Amino acid sequence: MNEKFVPRIVGFLCNWCSYAGADLAGVSRLQMPPSLRAIRVMCSSRVNPLFIIRVFLIGADGVLVAGCHPGDCHYQKGNYQARRKFAILKNIFESLGLESDRLRLSWISAGEGPRFAKVITEFTEKIKELGPNPAKEKVFL
Amino acid sequence: MKGAILKVTENVANPIINFLEKGLDKKCFDAVLIPVKVPVGNSFAWVLIQNKSLLEDANPLPPVMPVQGAKALSSITRMGKTNKKIAAIMRPCEVRAAVELSKLEQVNLENIFLISIDCPGVLPLKDYLERPEEAMDKFNEILLGACPERSRRAQNDIEWGNESTRPACQVCDKFVGTDLGFCQSDLHIGILGTKDKNIFLIPNNEKGKSILNKMDIEAEKSMDNWEKKAKELMEVRKKKKKEVQERLKFKVMGIDNLLDVFSNCINCHNCRSACPICYCRQCYFESEKMKLPSDDYLMRAKSKGALRFLPDTLLFHLGRMTHMSLSCVGCGACEDACPMSIDVAQIFSFVADNSQGLFNYIPGKNAEEPLSLRIYKEDEFHEVET
Amino acid sequence: MSKVLKINKSAEESVQELLKFLLKSGKVKGVFTLRKINDNGAVAYSLVTSLDMLKDAVPLFPLMPANGGKLLSRLTLRGSVAEPVVAVVRPCELRAFIELVKRKQGSLENFLFISSTCSGVYPLEISVNGNIDKKLSQYWDATKRNEIVPDTRPTCKSCEHFLPYTADITIALIGKKDIGNKCEIFLNTEKGQKFVDGIDGEFVEGKLESEEVVSMRNKRKDEKKKLFDEIGIEKFGLKGLIETFGKCIGCHGCSKVCPICYCNLCYSDSQTYEHKPFVYEIELKRRGGLRVPPDTVSYQIGRLTHVGISCVGCGLCADVCPANIPISTIFLKVGDSVQKMFDYLPGRDVEEQIPVTTFKTEEFVEVED
Ligand code: SF4
Ligand code: SF4
Ligand code: SF4
Ligand code: SF4
Ligand code: SF4
Ligand code: FES
Repeated sequence: MNEKFVPRIVGFLCNWCSYAGADLAGVSRLQMPPSLRAIRVMCSSRVNPLFIIRVFLIGADGVLVAGCHPGDCHYQKGNYQARRKFAILKNIFESLGLESDRLRLSWISAGEGPRFAKVITEFTEKIKELGPNPAKEKVFL
Repeated sequence: MKGAILKVTENVANPIINFLEKGLDKKCFDAVLIPVKVPVGNSFAWVLIQNKSLLEDANPLPPVMPVQGAKALSSITRMGKTNKKIAAIMRPCEVRAAVELSKLEQVNLENIFLISIDCPGVLPLKDYLERPEEAMDKFNEILLGACPERSRRAQNDIEWGNESTRPACQVCDKFVGTDLGFCQSDLHIGILGTKDKNIFLIPNNEKGKSILNKMDIEAEKSMDNWEKKAKELMEVRKKKKKEVQERLKFKVMGIDNLLDVFSNCINCHNCRSACPICYCRQCYFESEKMKLPSDDYLMRAKSKGALRFLPDTLLFHLGRMTHMSLSCVGCGACEDACPMSIDVAQIFSFVADNSQGLFNYIPGKNAEEPLSLRIYKEDEFHEVET
Repeated sequence: MSKVLKINKSAEESVQELLKFLLKSGKVKGVFTLRKINDNGAVAYSLVTSLDMLKDAVPLFPLMPANGGKLLSRLTLRGSVAEPVVAVVRPCELRAFIELVKRKQGSLENFLFISSTCSGVYPLEISVNGNIDKKLSQYWDATKRNEIVPDTRPTCKSCEHFLPYTADITIALIGKKDIGNKCEIFLNTEKGQKFVDGIDGEFVEGKLESEEVVSMRNKRKDEKKKLFDEIGIEKFGLKGLIETFGKCIGCHGCSKVCPICYCNLCYSDSQTYEHKPFVYEIELKRRGGLRVPPDTVSYQIGRLTHVGISCVGCGLCADVCPANIPISTIFLKVGDSVQKMFDYLPGRDVEEQIPVTTFKTEEFVEVED
C-alpha cells in the first residue's frame, strides 16, 4: 500500500445534521484525516445518484452521503428515500463489478462530533486499503 | 499552391503523429483532438490529448466515423473559447461542419487550429463493427489506392470512394481541405499522389503558415502534382454524384415515394442525434409541441381510416430538412446511425444540394460568409411570388 | 380456470376476426395494432378506425418497430381516449405501458387490452428488406412445438414474462399445436368477456398456465442464465464498462426508444452536462487525455439508476444501437437485480407502487454504516 496516498473523499452532508456534526468535530479539534471535501446539501434525499456517479467517475476515492438519523429528517422521510436510492445505486455498482465499497451512507446528527470524526477516520482507512480510484486516470469514460 | 513535404516512415499516419508530437513539444498547440483506437481496439473515439504518449493509439485517418468530428469539437467549445490551444485533426466534411457550427455559435474556433486531411472516404459503421480487422485491411487498400506503387491492386490508379465506402463518401466531391474542396482549415495534409513515400503539408492561411514556421518547416515546394490529382478525382466524383442523384430522384420524389422510403423509419431520431448540424439541445420534433391530445390522434385516424403511429414521420424528416439542409455537409453520419438502413444521408444531401444551390451557398466554405437565412436581398426570388 | 373463446380459424385469422367484430359492432371505435403500411411489406403500429383498413392488420407479426407501451403513452399523455379503443400489444409492451401509467404518462381508461403468450420478435435489422416474411413459417413452427424461436432477439429468448399479466384477453399461442386452424382466446376479465359477447364461436373453460407454458418458462430461464453468464457483467468493473461502451457513439438512441425513459429532455442531454471549457481543461490536466464528447460511461450508469427498477426487458435499446452494444442484456440483468431487492415486477399490477416513490422505515440497514 502506498503510504503517501491521502484519499480524497467527497461528502454530501445534510445541512441540518451531518454538516453541523462536521462543524462540531472541527471546533472540538477532534483528530481525523484531512481527506474530506464536503458539499452541503439540504437533505440526504437531495443527493441525486447521478451526483455520486459523476464524482466517482471523476476520480473521488470515496463518496460519503451523510444525513439525519432515521426518524429525524427535517423533511420527515427524506432520509428513508435517500436510503432506497443509495441501496439501488450500490446494487447497480455490485451488478457491474464496480467497487461499491467506495460508497458509504452514514447517519450523523448535529451533536455527534465524535461519530463524525470516527466515520471519516474509518472510511479513510477503508479507502486506503482499496487504494486510489482507478477512474482517476481513465481516458475513455 | 505551395506546401511542405514530409517523408513517410512505416505508414501514412506516422509522419502526421510525429508532426503533432513536435507541435506539442514546441508549444504550437497545447492539446490535440484526434480519433484514437478504443481500449479493445474495435472502434475509434475522439480524444483530446495533452499527454504525448496517448498519441500512440491515435489514427488521423480511421476507417470509420463513429462520431462526426464537429460534434466532438462542439462538445468542448460550445460554452466558450478554450484557453488551451487545440489542434483538431479532422476530415474535410468534419471541418466544414465545424465551420458551420461556428456560425451557429456551437463551436468557438478561437484557439482552435483546424487541420484537414485528404479523405479516402470511410466504411459504413455497421460493416466495420461486424469485422473490424477485415474492414481495416480493406480500408488500407483503399487508402493506398492513392499511392499506386504500394497498392496491392497496383494497376488501378485510385480506389478512393469505391463501393465499400459509404454511399455519401462515394459521391463526395469535397474531399480535400483547401479552397479546391471549399474547405477552410488552417492546414491541409495531402496524401493523394504521394506514392506512399511522402505527405504534403499545405497551409491554407497565415495561421497555418505561422505554425509551420514555428516548427521550422518550410512550405515552399510546389503542390501542382497533388492539385492535379485532386482535380482529376474531383471530376470523377462530380460525374458520379450526378448519376447517383439522377437515380435517387426516382426513388424519393413525390409523396408516395417519400412515404415508401421512410416506411421503415421507427422514429428513433438517431439520424438527428448523429447529425453535426442538428445541434438543438431539445429537438422541436421531440418537444411538447409534438405531443397532442388523444382526440387529435383519433380524429386524424377517423378521417383516413387509419393513422400510422407514431404519426408525423414525414413531418419530422421534411421539417428537419427545412431546419438544417442549408448547412448539411453531406457527411453521412445520419445514415451510419440509422438502425433501419434508410438512405437518410443520400436523401438529405440531395435536397441540401438543391437548397444550397438557391443561394450559391457552400456550407463550411467560409466562416465569414453569413448563413443564408440570416440575410436577404430586396430584389430576389420574385419567381416564388405571385 | 377461465373462460375461453374458441374460433376454428388460424390464430392470425381469429384475431383479425375478433378485431373486426369489435370494430364492426361499435364496441370499440379504434384498433391499435401492427399493420402492413405498404406493398413492400413495411409494418408499423397504426390506429385503425375503418373496417377496410383493418384488412392490413397483422396483429401477431413478430416485429416490434417501437415499444407499443411507449406509443400508447403518447396517445394518452394529454388525457385518456374518449372512446373505447382495443390495443393489441405484446406482454412487455403492456408492462411498459403500466409502468408509464404509474408515472402519469398515460391512461388505461377506455382501453381493452389484447395480448398473447409471446414467442418473441426478430431483431429490427432482419425486418429491413422484408426478410421477416421469409421467417414466418419457422416462427410459427417453433411456437407450435413449444421451442424457443431461433434468431429472435436475445432478450426475447430469455424472457420469462411472456404471459401477459394485465391483458383483458390473451391469445394462447405458445405450445398450441393447432394454431394453424384453431385458436383459443382467453377472456381474463369481465371486461374481456363483455366485449366479445355476441361473437361467433364456442365458449369453453381452460387454463392459460398450461404445462407447455410452464416448460417454456423453464427453457427461457435456462436461456437467461446462459445469456447472463456469457456477458458476465458482474465482472465488468470499470475496465469492462469502458471496453463495452468504447464503441458507443453517444446517440442516446437507446434512451429515445426506451419506454421507461419518458423524459422530454434527458438529464444527460441537458445543460447540466454541458461545461465551460475550463472544466475539460482540469480533466485534461489530470488524465492527460479525455474522450469527447465526455460522459459515455456515466450516461449508461445514470440511465441504469433511472430505468433499472422498471426495465421490462423489451430489447428495443439494443435493437436500435448503431454500435451493436448488447445494452438490453445489461439493463435486463441489472434491472432483475434491482427489482429483486423490492420483490418488484414492473408492469405486474398498476396498483403496485414504484419502489423509489415509497419506503419502509425498517429496511436496507446493511447499506448504512
Ligand atoms: S443531414 Fe446527414 S449528411 Fe447532412 S450534415 Fe447531417 S448527418 Fe451529415
Ligand atoms: S431537426 Fe430542427 S429542431 Fe430538431 S435538432 Fe435538427 S435543427 Fe434542431
Ligand atoms: S435514424 Fe433512421 S429509423 Fe431513426 S428516425 Fe432517422 S431515418 Fe428513422
Ligand atoms: S444506442 Fe448504442 S451507441 Fe447510441 S448511446 Fe446507446 S449505447 Fe451508445
Ligand atoms: S432499458 Fe432497454 S430493455 Fe429495458 S425497457 Fe428500456 S428499451 Fe426496453
Ligand atoms: S434533513 Fe437531514 S437527511 Fe433529510
